[in-house]
Amino acid sequence: MSATLVHSFDGIASRIDATGARSVGFTSTLAGEGTSTIALGTALALAELRQEKVLLVDANWIHPSLTSDARRESAPGLADYLARKAELATVVRSAERSRLDFLPVGDRDAARPTLRGLASLLANDVTHFQTVLIDLPPVLTGEMYVLPWATLLDHLFVVLREAATPLPLVRQALGKIGLATPEIILNRTAAATPELATSLVAAHRRLA
Amino acid sequence: MRRYLTAAKRYWLVILALLAVVWGAGLAGAYHEYANTYESQATIWVLRASPELTSSNPEDPGTPVIQTVASQQTELFTQLLQSDGFIRDVVERTLQRSTLERAANETKFLADVRKHFSVETLGTNMLRVSYTTSDPRTPVEMVNAAIAVRTERVLHARVTSTAAVGTLYRSEFDAAQTQALDAARELDAFKSSHPETLTATDEAHQAQLQLAVDFAQARLSELRGRADRSAVAAAVLEMSGLEFEVVDEPRQQTTPSGGGRAAVLLALVSLAAGALLVALLVFVGALLADHVAGPLDVGRLAPARLFATVPRVAVGSGAGGSELRPALAAIAFDDGDPSSLTG
Repeated sequence: MSATLVHSFDGIASRIDATGARSVGFTSTLAGEGTSTIALGTALALAELRQEKVLLVDANWIHPSLTSDARRESAPGLADYLARKAELATVVRSAERSRLDFLPVGDRDAARPTLRGLASLLANDVTHFQTVLIDLPPVLTGEMYVLPWATLLDHLFVVLREAATPLPLVRQALGKIGLATPEIILNRTAAATPELATSLVAAHRRLA
Repeated sequence: MRRYLTAAKRYWLVILALLAVVWGAGLAGAYHEYANTYESQATIWVLRASPELTSSNPEDPGTPVIQTVASQQTELFTQLLQSDGFIRDVVERTLQRSTLERAANETKFLADVRKHFSVETLGTNMLRVSYTTSDPRTPVEMVNAAIAVRTERVLHARVTSTAAVGTLYRSEFDAAQTQALDAARELDAFKSSHPETLTATDEAHQAQLQLAVDFAQARLSELRGRADRSAVAAAVLEMSGLEFEVVDEPRQQTTPSGGGRAAVLLALVSLAAGALLVALLVFVGALLADHVAGPLDVGRLAPARLFATVPRVAVGSGAGGSELRPALAAIAFDDGDPSSLTG
């Protein structure tokens, strides 16, 4: 069952792997689009696909659900690192079985994400991770927490929920992000069509 | 516009049901109002302006307000209908008296009766008083009682004011009479004390006393005239019927009447409400329908492009992200060994 769940994200993981991207962010238009779920599932799938450690960062200052899932609400995290209250190595939780390292959001009142702080994080302190995935808040409600990441990440995906997210709001969110070619991940599609990438990943596993 | 038409087509069954309920209820209510309303009305002819009702501008009492005699009486009637005392007197003269006695909340009952009355001006000298209710017999009683109570109230007010004026004149007359007698007495005393030829000074004094007597008698005769006129005015009040004459007596209606306007209003409101609700439904429907229907639909967000799709995953009994994420979190974070935490 566990493997089946993770394999649901093989398609997106293999596409990210194909682009060679190292840092990837996930945001959405509104809350409840499934951004945290996709970030988590993709992180697990990428860790399995690349057979290396993946750093998953909860940068959702508004609703840090991954931090809650990891039961690290009171633990220091990204905000404490940005406020220079903690070293990164001391706030990252490592799970050997899933090959997933997790950076919780920490004390959100300590600091806000700034371009300089995030640039330092990505350029200096997480260089030993080949893959860094960031869970971000919705653009329309957390613009100030999303935009600093937008120029630093290799990819910033906007998660939409099929047959739910209103198009005018999506356009508004894309306009705020300001990327030339925004990339969309369509969540909870009705037809679970097996994609070519998923088939390739399955074949790769069989060979491994 | 096309998206609204599409939404209307999508929700046509809901729209049909909505219109059936709202319009049906409205039209049924309008028919009920029309078929169960009876109105009786009295047309009243007003001859001349009543001096008691001379109106003035409350902002500036010196400025006269132009009013026709009919509008004066209409205003008086309307104002009387605003008082609970007047309505109570009216109701007590009708068969509704027992209902009033049984009413738990008298004020509410009287307010309800008040709402059924209507007073309108038909022209410069005509006005109409009407009463509308679901019982054909009550309106006649109510209109007749209202006219009778109004007449009594006005008559009583006039008699009271006339009596007050008469009393005032009488007291003034008594005082003036005393003054006249005193003046005459002083003149007589002066004359008797000066039988011989008067000096110039005495003549002047006598002339002053004579003048005081003349003034007192003139004042006396004037007050007598006023007192007489005020006494006569009470008798003249018998002619007041000419001022306020019921031309058309109220009649008991055998067929529904007077509910047409309310019925039309009710029907129009229900039609408008139905149309408004449908418009709202179509608008919200079009708004909700404006989303990405599938991977191919992402093209509407150009220059954005579709990177990947994530299928809906069923976990346990439910299907959705809310159940999926805890399951993934269990895989990702539940190592079970606290020592595995490097942080």
